[in-house]
Amino acid sequence: MGLKDDLERFREVGEQRREDLADFIQYGDLGGSRPGEIKIPVKIVSLPEFEYDRRDKGGVGQGDGGTPDVGQPVGQPQPQPGDGDGEDGDPGEEGGDHEYYEMDPEEFAQELDEELGLDLEPKGKKVIEEKEGPFTDLTRTGPDSTLDFERMFKEGLKRKLAMDFDEEFLRELCKVEGISPREVFEWARGENLPVSMAWVEEAHEEVADERGTWSSIEEVEANVERESVQQKIRREGIKHVPFRREDERYRYPEIIEEKEKNVVVVNIRDVSGSMREKKRELVERTFTPLDWYLQGKYDNAEFVYIAHDADAWRVEREDFFGIRSGGGTKISSAYELAAELLEEYPWNDWNRYVFAAGDSENSSNDTEERVIPMMEEIPANLHAYVETQPSGNAINATHAEELERHFGTDADDVAVAYVNSKEDVTDAIYEILSTESDSDE
Amino acid sequence: MSKTNSNADRFRKQAIAADLAEPVAEARNLAQTLGLEPYPVKYWIIDYDEMNELIAYGGFQSRYPHWRWGMQYDRQQKQGQYTGGKAFEIVNNDNPAHAFLQESNTLADQKAVITHVEAHSDFFAKNEWFGLFTGGQSDEAQVNAAAMLERHARAIDEYMSDPEIDRAEVEKWIDHCLSLEDNIDQHRVFERRLDIDGPTEEIDEDLAEKLDELGLSEEIKGEVFDEEWLEKLEAEDGQVTFPEEPQKDILSFVREHGKQYDADAGRAVEMEPWQRDVLDMMRAEAYYFAAQKMTKIMNEGWAAYWESTMMTDEAFAGDDEFLNYADHMAKVLGSGGLNPYSLGMELWEYVENTTNRREVLERLLRVEGISWRNLTDVVDFDDVLETLEPPAALDSITVDTLEDVAELPDEWVDHEALERARDGEIDVEKYPWKVLTYEGLARRHYSLVKRQHRGFLSRVSQNELERIGRYLFDDARYDSVEEALEDVDFSAGWDRMYDVRESHNDVTFLDEFLTEEFITENNYFTYEHSKATGQFHVASDAAEDVKKKLLLQFTNFGKPTIAVYDGNYNNANELLLGHQYNGVMLDLGKAKETLKRIFELWGRPVNLLTIVKEVNEHDVEVAKRRNREPEPEERGKLVRYDGEEVTVENVPWDEVEHLSAEDVDYDTKPDEWLA
Repeated sequence: MGLKDDLERFREVGEQRREDLADFIQYGDLGGSRPGEIKIPVKIVSLPEFEYDRRDKGGVGQGDGGTPDVGQPVGQPQPQPGDGDGEDGDPGEEGGDHEYYEMDPEEFAQELDEELGLDLEPKGKKVIEEKEGPFTDLTRTGPDSTLDFERMFKEGLKRKLAMDFDEEFLRELCKVEGISPREVFEWARGENLPVSMAWVEEAHEEVADERGTWSSIEEVEANVERESVQQKIRREGIKHVPFRREDERYRYPEIIEEKEKNVVVVNIRDVSGSMREKKRELVERTFTPLDWYLQGKYDNAEFVYIAHDADAWRVEREDFFGIRSGGGTKISSAYELAAELLEEYPWNDWNRYVFAAGDSENSSNDTEERVIPMMEEIPANLHAYVETQPSGNAINATHAEELERHFGTDADDVAVAYVNSKEDVTDAIYEILSTESDSDE
Repeated sequence: MSKTNSNADRFRKQAIAADLAEPVAEARNLAQTLGLEPYPVKYWIIDYDEMNELIAYGGFQSRYPHWRWGMQYDRQQKQGQYTGGKAFEIVNNDNPAHAFLQESNTLADQKAVITHVEAHSDFFAKNEWFGLFTGGQSDEAQVNAAAMLERHARAIDEYMSDPEIDRAEVEKWIDHCLSLEDNIDQHRVFERRLDIDGPTEEIDEDLAEKLDELGLSEEIKGEVFDEEWLEKLEAEDGQVTFPEEPQKDILSFVREHGKQYDADAGRAVEMEPWQRDVLDMMRAEAYYFAAQKMTKIMNEGWAAYWESTMMTDEAFAGDDEFLNYADHMAKVLGSGGLNPYSLGMELWEYVENTTNRREVLERLLRVEGISWRNLTDVVDFDDVLETLEPPAALDSITVDTLEDVAELPDEWVDHEALERARDGEIDVEKYPWKVLTYEGLARRHYSLVKRQHRGFLSRVSQNELERIGRYLFDDARYDSVEEALEDVDFSAGWDRMYDVRESHNDVTFLDEFLTEEFITENNYFTYEHSKATGQFHVASDAAEDVKKKLLLQFTNFGKPTIAVYDGNYNNANELLLGHQYNGVMLDLGKAKETLKRIFELWGRPVNLLTIVKEVNEHDVEVAKRRNREPEPEERGKLVRYDGEEVTVENVPWDEVEHLSAEDVDYDTKPDEWLA
């Protein structure tokens, strides 16, 4: 019992058990993220209740800098203040229902690194500029504006701490009946006070009239309070920090060779008739986080989307996961198009990832005769194939197997992953990304 | 909390708690001087993880085992992890209330939280809607929420661990009850029921408690009340229909008259004792949380208002903490949209300002020669505001000005405290308010002269002036404006706020105080769905429309009203529910699913009468071509679930006519809409 148990049972709801609730789970949609932000869908189970029809209910919105014109479309309704149920509205709790957590790709990549123990260090390929780094190097001369005052001040303070001593106390010592400068000096040295003989002699001279105030050193020690340097600085402030020329340091910038980390990701998807909704969804669930991850890892990420059945064509991201066509399947068509499109992204300047996904069905001999040679020909950090087969293996679906047989399971730059259900997604991502990190070492 | 705390952990928290002892004590003093009457508050210092756990549990340390807490925890954690979201405080409605402060908050945050919490606690204690939960008890001051929830947690835990009971069954049963958690009668005093059927009215709830404590087995309790119970059943058999009046509290109805469906036997059988017990517990929790759901805007606004008064106006945040505090405030209030904090706070300020303005105008209208017709011409509002400024001695109080404070009118000054301030026992530099009374503070923080409200007085409309002028009780006349202003009651605004916080809920609060000015200034509009375009479109920016739509979202938790109309429908003990149609139709898909759950709690077929809007395809086509909206037709439907399948059939209009309300209309579509 307890929250851990509740969390555990929540994760199982609609999956391992409580199938009666499966229909009430919203996972949110992976798409819809704009560049530079990621929306992570969250599992939300809403028990059925008597509710208004959302459309018939309408709602209240707030204009941004003005009231919009009547008749203007408003898109998806904004969250309403009365929305949310259960104890969501407890005082003190901020925020309402979210189906998403927004984060930026960099954070996402970091999360994933931590989660999966990955450490993919992107390769900078192209030197774009030599630029001045932070002013971290130091030199002994330079323009005033670059003087590292903080350092000078610290050095001065150190010196003061090392040189300063309790002058008042030593002056009192000099007033002891019949004491000689040498005796004062030796006492001071015994106490590790950084005082010079010359100073003692001078002070001894100055208080000549008052000599005899004290009868012994012990009496002074008993009656005059000593003050440490720290206490003194606190009392007097640090007006007299001894600055020395030799402490002056001037900062100048490091010269850094900036390499831009470019990446181009080619996403290939089989859209043929055999790729039904479930398979399609699994591809989306695997590809989207991969895209986010690489986007977060590189300075400049470009994405190319290729859909194919027996032919291949380039599509926009919005369309990529939605397309269904009727035709047969020829995976090599996609690699031909990929090779052509990748000419725009020379291997010297770009990191390349080629991810393909489908249900492993291919026209006969296409894998062996055309796809494998092309995968070997197209230089890339990583080629990956993700097989989505929710129902296990179909008889003639052998593309993934053939790849694995040819390249082996521990190839540096080819990964094959199998996704049969949502639970496999994380493993597949790990499989793919860890293949790439291995090749890095 | 499941986590065991190390000693180091405990010492760290103790150290923080020690630093907060003074702010906590002084916040309470200040709150009480300002007129708040909070329940005592116990403060706890907790860490980030513990805060997440508490939020997941709805502010309590112990709840019954259920996946929904896991869901909220998951969400809470991700929110923190991914968005850096910061939880500031949580306070629960209990006497004493418990408030939780996160140890990583800055001192300024902690102070803000404490002032905020004190105001919430006052709201819990004094708002009548909260009183509905405690009102049915012998001791109304006792909420006993934590104890109740803890008891529920233990009881359900025990049922789940009982080898005779399948854990999954208990969880499912809870889910069925939760589907109906908003189907209670939240406007009535909560009546606790016994663990078995039987007349409860005569039985004091204390006795019920005692029975509980005796730990009697269900069988024994069953025997004790068996006869009465049977008699009641027999009496019911004689009735043709019950309930006599439609009953909104479906949870209570199924609790009293429902059975469970035994799938093996294929018929309804009596509920198990644990099932009745769980139903009771879920219903009690639904009633307990209802008040919070009904007063979200008011309660958050109330806390934000007093937090701001204490933190900013009374400088409860020290100077160095103030920047930090301003930052916190901006984060909370600036969250955009119709956020309950800012909407609520603005409405409270509106209550204060209009009351104060009315008070001033009523005085001015009694001046010889001033009437509602000429007031704006003959009165110089700037002069009036100048006169209304608090005197310097009240505005800034320091050790050196104590003599001036002594000269102020007696009702403003706490002379005893002033004496102690003179003796140095009270630090007036830090706590100047200590030498003042409620009236003094009201004068000191008089709203109409605050910078952000300075224009409020002069913005009065001619209509309002006329209204005030016509109904003025002409008991005194003044010779001059100055003389009239001397009689102004500066506490009027706060007094009114205290009245409003006692009797209103969000619906009445919005209805009464949400102004056209507010709606227009914030660019609010309504939107409606068009069948012709399949999209939502802006429908209206008229204040009354926006208000209507907003009220729809707050009335009855923003949910449709469903009531039990017959517990012996078809003369076969079937359940008949009716949807009280207000022009907005049900989500039929969800309604069907909900009926399936109610079937489990009733054991026999369940029926729902409702009204839907239908448009035929042809009309949609025509409307599309003409850029118009098709006219929907309202029809009666009977949705039925018999344990096997859901059926929907048309019923004649006269069978549903009684469900249709004629006097409400939430539709804000204009006539010429898409043209």
